[in-house]
Amino acid sequence: MRARAATAVAVLLVSLAGGCSGDSSRPRAGASAAPSAPPATSGPGAPADTSCKPRASLRPAGPLPKPGAMPAGTYMRTIQDRGRLILGTSQDTLLFSSRNPFTGAIEGFDVDMGRQIAAAIFGDPDKIQIRVIGYDDRVEAVDAAEPVDLVADTMTANCDRWGDVDFSTIYYDAGQKVLVSSTSDARGIGDLGGRKVCAAQGSTSYDNIAAAASRPVPVARAGFADCLVAFQQNEVDAISTDDTILVGLAAQDPYAKVVGPRMSQEPYGMAISQKHHEFTRFVNAVLERNRANGTWKKTYERWLGDLGPAPRPPAAQYRD
Amino acid sequence: MSTAQLDRVAPVPGPVADPAPGGLLWRVRALRHTSPGRLQLLLTALLVFGVLTGLVAGLTAASARAGTDDLGDRAQPLLVEAETIYSALADADTTAAQAFLAGGLEPAELTRRYEGDLDRATTALMSAARRTPPEGPAAEAIRALSSGIPRYAALVASARANNRQGLPVGASYLSTASQLSRDSLQPQAQVLFRSARDEVDEGYGGARSSWWSALLVILLVALLGTLLVTQVHLSRSTRRTFNVPLLVATAVTLALTLTTAVVLAGQRSHLTDAARDGSAPVALLAEARIYALRERGDDALTLVARQGPPEPGKDPYEVNSRELTRRLDQAGRGAAGPARTAVESAARNRRDWENAHKRIRALDESGRYDEAVKLAVGEPTTRTFTALTGDLGRALEDRKAAFTREIDAAGRGLGLLTVLGPLLALAVCALAATGLRARLEEYR
Repeated sequence: MRARAATAVAVLLVSLAGGCSGDSSRPRAGASAAPSAPPATSGPGAPADTSCKPRASLRPAGPLPKPGAMPAGTYMRTIQDRGRLILGTSQDTLLFSSRNPFTGAIEGFDVDMGRQIAAAIFGDPDKIQIRVIGYDDRVEAVDAAEPVDLVADTMTANCDRWGDVDFSTIYYDAGQKVLVSSTSDARGIGDLGGRKVCAAQGSTSYDNIAAAASRPVPVARAGFADCLVAFQQNEVDAISTDDTILVGLAAQDPYAKVVGPRMSQEPYGMAISQKHHEFTRFVNAVLERNRANGTWKKTYERWLGDLGPAPRPPAAQYRD
Repeated sequence: MSTAQLDRVAPVPGPVADPAPGGLLWRVRALRHTSPGRLQLLLTALLVFGVLTGLVAGLTAASARAGTDDLGDRAQPLLVEAETIYSALADADTTAAQAFLAGGLEPAELTRRYEGDLDRATTALMSAARRTPPEGPAAEAIRALSSGIPRYAALVASARANNRQGLPVGASYLSTASQLSRDSLQPQAQVLFRSARDEVDEGYGGARSSWWSALLVILLVALLGTLLVTQVHLSRSTRRTFNVPLLVATAVTLALTLTTAVVLAGQRSHLTDAARDGSAPVALLAEARIYALRERGDDALTLVARQGPPEPGKDPYEVNSRELTRRLDQAGRGAAGPARTAVESAARNRRDWENAHKRIRALDESGRYDEAVKLAVGEPTTRTFTALTGDLGRALEDRKAAFTREIDAAGRGLGLLTVLGPLLALAVCALAATGLRARLEEYR
């Protein structure tokens, strides 16, 4: 699987570095995924609404409290008293949050983001409860009857969602691409007019497919791994979503490749309820610290090391 | 008078106004006015009623027998097979989910169990196909199941192959398979089960052959009445008080009436017993087993989905649980003997299983997912649950045996009646003809 993941990553790298230069599986030396570099949005589709400055979050308030000593009256104290942080995520996004079939544990880059918050609250990253939520429930999950504290689930911070939830500062920069069969000539979403292209229900990827100028037929599934099932059963011709997710899918299918330029920018943030801004500020403080002390880099290398050397983490932007 | 002439005579002349002189009806009416004419009319009536009684007795017995055989050899086995398909699919789904929950390499025991379930489902499906008429919802359900089960098996096989390689997409294959089973295959099995249950209900109607029986009773009464009228007429119009052949004919008719009454009443009483002690508890216990399997499946799938507590009122487990409780109560109330012991034991194991389920939910909801999984797939919980389904299975077998017993008893005597009915009726005809011909010849 590792070898296959590497091949798939190589395909991604080639397509990233060489644009549409083809589908050779030989990686170029020195090519970098460079997710923090401004991606070329040469793909079709409506430009994202950035009037609300979706990358900008709430500024941390002073230094972090010591783990296990959350200030009274704050939401962090509520979590500490409960004894565990409830993280909403998925279990089928390889590399970000997926179930390890050998151990049954859910792990990945997103899960580690949650674990780092748990570590900051309790001093113990294991004090975390993972709740799997649907892609179309990610916004509601933080304010549901049984709410989650935090959603880290390859979730794009955009203006539409900022209306309902707070986002943390950006912890990862992704962009939407296309996964097709290794025998396909398609070089991007532009070549998929009239073809069935799958994405998770409720994801921004789905909206981007529907908005693509080449008019592909968007097909919704519960999650992206369900899209891979549909792809392997020949029910859809392609899958389109963030390159990060596609790499994880391609790693599971040697007959799949990731192609095309980035159609969109997908900055990932953690979603938090607007009822307690102090928790958003706390999460941002943890992110700030982890960007500075190398934790972010280590996490990147652990999960996404196959993409190449870790880039600089996305810089924090604040709205206040 | 020859029988050829008799046959031409309409047995029941309708109230026709002033038939033309010389016509057939005019001649029949004219017969009433002479003594030999009256005797001829009575003989005709006796022969007609005798022949009809014989015919209807044979047909009633044959229809009741065919109905009973259909019930025992087709409808009830179809119900059992439909239940087998349904419960095997539900169990396969649950087993696959548990193997997945267990993580790592699939436990060999669960794999065997899953394969066994699939075998049972396909075998039962093939034999159910033979028992189902080629049109109608049951046949459609069988067609859908025949194409759906291989698709389901293929999805589970893909899930396993991916799991073995450590690819998370295996989980999605499994959930696609589970969705296929729950949204399409199990509902089709339910359609089959319900239509089999309806067929059993109809089968009881067919086996009772009430219309035929009613007609037979009317004919027997008519035959007896005509015999009595004839004898009264003869003893009044002649010097002989008794006509021996007619007396014997009356006795034979009474014997036929008695035999018919005994055989049909016996059949009906056994059918009632078969319905009460066989079909009804079999359907009830079969449903109970399906609901129990679904309970465990829901328990496992809630853990697989990791989506936290289901919304109150929308928990499929609760719905199943209510239905299971209702059926266990009903089954317990009506049962006796070994079935009762088994149902009581099932109720006890159910309580233990419910407690285990509550502990699993409590662990999961307090964030102790790993412990919840361990408890859910662990040996003690599995033992409790297997004991529950085992009890239900035992009660089911006991009730199936009771059904077979009663249906065999119900069929007894019907074959005899099929032969004896027409024979005795013919004897009545012959005796009536003998008894009356002597009198008619006196008028020559």
